[in-house]
Amino acid sequence: MKSVVLVLMFLTGLFAKEAVLPTELTAWKSLSFISAAKSANELSDASLSLNHASLIGLHPTPKIQYVARPMNEGGTVSYGGIFQIDIKESGVYRVVLGNASWIDLIKDGKAALSVAHNGGPENSGIRKMVDYALEAGTYTLQLSAGADSTSALLVTKIK
Amino acid sequence: MKHTLRAILVASGLIAPLYAQSIQSDNQADKVKIELGRKLFYDADLSINGTMSCATCHEQRRAFTDGNKVHPGALDDPGKRNVPALANVGSYKNLTWAHNHLSGLAEQSLMPIRGTDPIEMGMSTHEEEIGKRLSQNECYRKMFTIAFSEEKGSINLSTVSRALESFEKTFISNDSLYDQKIKSNQPLPTKESEAGKKLFFGAAKCNSCHSAPLFSDDDFHQVQPQTQAANPLMKDNGLSDVTGNLKDKNAFRTPSLRNAALTSPYWHDGRAKTLSEAIRKHDLKMNQTLSDRDIAKLIAFIDTLSDISFVNNPKYTKPSKECPY
Repeated sequence: MKSVVLVLMFLTGLFAKEAVLPTELTAWKSLSFISAAKSANELSDASLSLNHASLIGLHPTPKIQYVARPMNEGGTVSYGGIFQIDIKESGVYRVVLGNASWIDLIKDGKAALSVAHNGGPENSGIRKMVDYALEAGTYTLQLSAGADSTSALLVTKIK
Repeated sequence: MKHTLRAILVASGLIAPLYAQSIQSDNQADKVKIELGRKLFYDADLSINGTMSCATCHEQRRAFTDGNKVHPGALDDPGKRNVPALANVGSYKNLTWAHNHLSGLAEQSLMPIRGTDPIEMGMSTHEEEIGKRLSQNECYRKMFTIAFSEEKGSINLSTVSRALESFEKTFISNDSLYDQKIKSNQPLPTKESEAGKKLFFGAAKCNSCHSAPLFSDDDFHQVQPQTQAANPLMKDNGLSDVTGNLKDKNAFRTPSLRNAALTSPYWHDGRAKTLSEAIRKHDLKMNQTLSDRDIAKLIAFIDTLSDISFVNNPKYTKPSKECPY
């Protein structure tokens, strides 16, 4: 199933009009697969790397135990998942997503407040981009209220 | 008894409907209906793919708007109109930006849930799915049974929409700085806001449409001739799309100015980013006399209509996951 999705994404990319991506989003084009965690216990297998785009596998919402209650919880028929990411230096970071899932970035039990949000460049496959001013540390990235069982995700430093 | 007293007071004009709503019902079923409506308001299972609840667009901290020009639907269909604020929504006869035939908030709630122009929560032709989804939850079954005992706790679009109406009718905003000063018969705290108030109720005649206490006359006006729509594919003729009457073309309901400082952007399609821009968009002769200084005073006054207790009221926040019954 995973490989079918990858092939479909490749073919879609082949025939789609080439998107013009800014430098900070160039990593968006090469995706490696990672499955989201369903609970905090599984987070060690769901680590994201900065500047590496991932094709992500998500889970039905009723199966997920979020670390903190999402601000926008999905319904029983939606999808979501949990990841973790190490932020080594403070700065402004952009979370780039292929679908419209709600994003919560949690550290020490508190959700970081976003400082900007945008859509992606035309034909890029990017549905939303949300910027956060983050301190160094390990963050839990929660996706909730998503429409699909797969999406694409990139975290990149922009300032 | 309380209902009777309220009806007499409202009918006699002794209290405005806005304040009358704050008299709460003692009836257990009515209380549960409100709690149920609150739970449903935050439940994304009311949308086709579980991605969108009422609260997705109506965020309490923004006085139940969302900060966007328009909001795309659950299936990513483009939004049509700016998300309207919900303060005192139970006091309006006309609901939404441009509709004058809705029987109440229950019927109105069906527009985002199953409407197709635009498609928001996307449940058109999938209405039965709502009952199926909610029935799987034991807490919902208990709450619907108490709230709608006469209908044997039936979970369907009708009972869902009536519970939502009950909750939305509790959205009372009447504790802004302006309200506090009016009640204590004191002037507003700054010269700028006091001057803005005089201008608002005086020379600028803002109050002729943005009438206190709602700061809306609950009526429709053609304030600006239609130029190009935000989305050219999305035709929006305002009230005439409902009535079919050309006289109603481009007429929209006066939005309330309560909490307006918290609800940017403005205008029916969100085209005005700031209050200043929104004031300048009024294509009225009286507006031509407003200087930049006057507009700054009006904005200082509008700022005093922000009701912080309303946007922080725990009665309206997302309810706990634990079932209260």
